[in-house]
Amino acid sequence: MSFNAIAVIGVTLLVGLLMVFLWNRLRQGREVGLRPLPAYRTLRTQVGRAIESGRHVHITLGRAGLHSAAGPTSVAALTALDHLAIDSCASGIPPMVTVGEATLLPAAQDSLRQGFAQAGRLSSYSPIQTQFIAPETNPLAYAAGVSNELHAGNVGSNLMLGRFGAELALMGEAAARVNAPQVIGSDDSTALAVASALTKDVLIGEELLAAGAYLQGKPWQLASLQAQDWLRWVVMVLILVFGILSGIGFFT
Amino acid sequence: MRRLLDIPPLIIAVGFGLVTLVGLLFASLLPEVASILTGWAAFIAAAALLFGVLNLLVIHLQRFIRGRNFFSLALILSMVITIVVGYMDRSISELNGLNTIFQYVLQPLEAALGSLLAFFLLFAGFRLLQRQQSGWSVLFIGAVILFLMAAAPMPAAFSGLFSWVQDYIAPLFVHAGVRAILIGVALGTITLALRLLVGIERPYSK
Repeated sequence: MSFNAIAVIGVTLLVGLLMVFLWNRLRQGREVGLRPLPAYRTLRTQVGRAIESGRHVHITLGRAGLHSAAGPTSVAALTALDHLAIDSCASGIPPMVTVGEATLLPAAQDSLRQGFAQAGRLSSYSPIQTQFIAPETNPLAYAAGVSNELHAGNVGSNLMLGRFGAELALMGEAAARVNAPQVIGSDDSTALAVASALTKDVLIGEELLAAGAYLQGKPWQLASLQAQDWLRWVVMVLILVFGILSGIGFFT
Repeated sequence: MRRLLDIPPLIIAVGFGLVTLVGLLFASLLPEVASILTGWAAFIAAAALLFGVLNLLVIHLQRFIRGRNFFSLALILSMVITIVVGYMDRSISELNGLNTIFQYVLQPLEAALGSLLAFFLLFAGFRLLQRQQSGWSVLFIGAVILFLMAAAPMPAAFSGLFSWVQDYIAPLFVHAGVRAILIGVALGTITLALRLLVGIERPYSK
């Protein structure tokens, strides 16, 4: 068995056991103190404001396929869509959903259909309320398509969650021109740098992946978020220890 | 009934996920299984792309018919021409039509859009200063200007003026920050992947 295989199995077991332990603690009534993330609060209020003003919420899910390495980022973005679709579909002003990768299309359509079903308005659902813009290999075509949707549609709020690159600047500028407040979440460092210039409501990497815990708050999601926090401390201590050992020449 | 309908996709997703993981970890135990399943995933992704193109076509046909949107007509015509040229390429090998379309239409358009990115980023920077006049905004803009100066070609006399940015600031602060983001994403990905593998998180059946 290779070292990589042993490492993967070890980490998987460790994380799995930690999640079960924390989930059990939650079942016993232990509270989870979630770190306040203003972007999630803004996300909820923005959707409410857009609906009140009779304008659409535009949600774009980036260009990471569900079969790609960045798939979990898209799954997190879809979790956010699940939550937001329920509110928007109940209001009669469904969200405009755009995707930059083909495997995201059926998943996003399913989210929207479920939103309509929960609102008791399934007859109002249409698969073309979710729009495929361009494949992931054409980021600029995707950005141009989304910008066009932002200009043409009556958009009151712009949410960009998922994997993006520098093309985020084009979409962000289009949203700024139609005065749509924005929430941006990504796991890409280039996109995050661009997002910081576009809005103050940015979900940085792991914060986007915690969408389920912040928006739905199911026990397993909260337990895995807590496991993430614990593991972060472990990683920090390891970095510190190895840094000191390396500094005193232990490895030479 | 609803719960019963949820079971087949759950079994397929969890089963295939675990088999792929075992196949990747122990290549000798399940030879070629991981690559076969990855091939199936690629096939499904290709089928999804076809549905995506159909989705795009239906939406723009509707926009043209209902709203006389001529941009939508341009998109439909471009799509049809590209498909026809692609089909003709298969029968007349020396035509090379798809390459011509990419070289003379798509590439210049993407290059034009790409060149606009810098201006959009500049606007975003100005907007940031207008919207949020805080120390962090000034630090952000200052860092952008500093890195632009360090990356820009300079006369020989000034070439070493900003070398400290590349030598010290980039590896110390930028690389450390990027690695911190990556570690956070990796931890989040591990926990989310575990939830997907054991079927707690089910984006495929809501």
